[in-house]
Amino acid sequence: MELLQYTLRKLVAGIPLLLGVTFVSFLLMVYFGPDQTYVLLGKNPTAAEIAELRAQLGYDQPFFVRYADYLRELATLDFGYSNSTGEKVAGLLGRTIPVSLALILPGFVLGNLVAIMLALVAAHHRSGWVDKTIMGISVVGMSISFLIVVIAFQIIFSSSYGLGLFPVRGWNVHSFRDYLAHIAVPTMASVFVALGYNTRFYRSVIVEELTRDHVRTARAFGVPPAKLLYRNVLKNCLIPIMTRIVFSIPLIVISGALIMETYFGIPGVGKVTFDAITTGDQPVLKAVVGLTAVLFVLAQLVTDVLYRAVDPRVSLK
Amino acid sequence: MSAATGLPASAGREAQAAAATRRQTLWSKAAWKFRRDRAGMVGLCIVLVYFVAALGVWSGWWATGWAEVAGGKWNPPSAEHWFGTNLIGQDIYQRSLFSVATAFEVGLVVAVLSTLLGAVLGALAGFFSGKLTDELVLWLMGVLDSIPFYLLVAAIAFALEGNAWSMHVAMVSTFWITTSRLVRGEVIKLKNLEFVEAAHAIGVPEYTIIFRHIVPNTLHILLVQSTITFVAAIKSEVILSFLGLGVKDGMSWGLMISESTLEVLAGFFNNFLAASALMFVLVMAFNMFSDALQDALDPRKVS
Repeated sequence: MELLQYTLRKLVAGIPLLLGVTFVSFLLMVYFGPDQTYVLLGKNPTAAEIAELRAQLGYDQPFFVRYADYLRELATLDFGYSNSTGEKVAGLLGRTIPVSLALILPGFVLGNLVAIMLALVAAHHRSGWVDKTIMGISVVGMSISFLIVVIAFQIIFSSSYGLGLFPVRGWNVHSFRDYLAHIAVPTMASVFVALGYNTRFYRSVIVEELTRDHVRTARAFGVPPAKLLYRNVLKNCLIPIMTRIVFSIPLIVISGALIMETYFGIPGVGKVTFDAITTGDQPVLKAVVGLTAVLFVLAQLVTDVLYRAVDPRVSLK
Repeated sequence: MSAATGLPASAGREAQAAAATRRQTLWSKAAWKFRRDRAGMVGLCIVLVYFVAALGVWSGWWATGWAEVAGGKWNPPSAEHWFGTNLIGQDIYQRSLFSVATAFEVGLVVAVLSTLLGAVLGALAGFFSGKLTDELVLWLMGVLDSIPFYLLVAAIAFALEGNAWSMHVAMVSTFWITTSRLVRGEVIKLKNLEFVEAAHAIGVPEYTIIFRHIVPNTLHILLVQSTITFVAAIKSEVILSFLGLGVKDGMSWGLMISESTLEVLAGFFNNFLAASALMFVLVMAFNMFSDALQDALDPRKVS
């Protein structure tokens, strides 16, 4: 009951944020965005045709009427049809979001799990050669641009100049084997880059916890290192770790997917959104940006509830 | 004999330690600590070499022929073309050297502006924490944080109708947030200290307190954050240029890499390697410099 009340209160508190995000993105992407009138019309349109199309696209309405329409669409989750392809927006997203998730999730999960493990090892051997090696590699991972890693891995693993193990580009998935072959290179690239940032972050969190008194006491009582790291250190670090993971989810879905989808020619939601911005496909844009904002508010809610789950001292009041 | 040779060395070390304890300001201690950080010094030297290269480009001393078609298609490296030529016969060495200046231009503009913006808004939010100003700034940060970065850049690029500065505007409008959050936290801590109370008591105006007495005390955060922002700007430029949203007129590593995506499939790697290697070394050096700076300026940091 307390949890339900808390959830509702948090959702209400998320409304200003939702309004802000939808307003800024509406202003930028829809109001100042590309005008599709002359793209959709044929040659030599008459004034009546132009006016009709503008009315159909909603361009003739005043700003706040259009914004209010958008909010209504977001509330009912009905965004109409894509301007460019005529496909229903819900159908388009239903088709592309699973592709993006399938592409990104393995790398995201591995990138975080491996980073936490490396960070534990590094922190355990703090300022020894193991620590220095892991941190050195993570600075390298941080310093290479994601795009360079993607291109380099593609040359090394997929092209005929390298090992030629995996498909070079595209998304031609019919079986689980196809799936693994297609995500292999993107996953390796995203894990490589994620390891750089994540390992550093997790290590600094863990090292700070390691200097606490209760860890020293546990050590003095002879708790073995593996148990100490798991029970006394990792569990106490869960709050910053979870915050980082949950908050990176909404960004990963769009931004992280975008580069890989553009480069590998994979029909995911990142690519669809990017194309929608450049062509001014407003129904698609409105849907993606609105849903991302909702995802952010939900992410905040989830972290707050999870805080309570891992730390009983956190109050939900 | 061994005692005699050992003495000057230990005396020198003691003198050094004494000198370190004598000058007890934050900055001199940080400078002393920074100079002892080998990785940081190496990083700083490399960054300075790049900076000289950028200055040379700005002054027109070298890399003036980056746009000229000077050779054949995909010439191998030679005395004339150090890194070979690209698809249409332009000199890759000159193009990658010219891009150093572009990287510094993007990095400096974005780092300076977003640090300034972050400092001002963060300080105001922190000083008036819990009041309307703070709520507004926090709301703005939340809103801008919730729009996916590349979509925001694309949208700003279109709203500004392909203006060459749209990339900078977009980066500044998101990169100030982290700085601002850190400054806000520090200002909340600082504003309850005695020196602020004293300033209040003798009737110093509020905004003078904020910008003359509190903000200078967050300078160490601003310095470290601006190096981090610099690196982020260079890295974002590459991806934005690849997506066609970045550098409009001129040359950059991002444009070279995006050119090279066609070439690598044909087995020609010089363009890609030149841009990637130059960029990697600069970013790596900057990261090492930034880490050392952080270690030197933050006495509480556990590493």
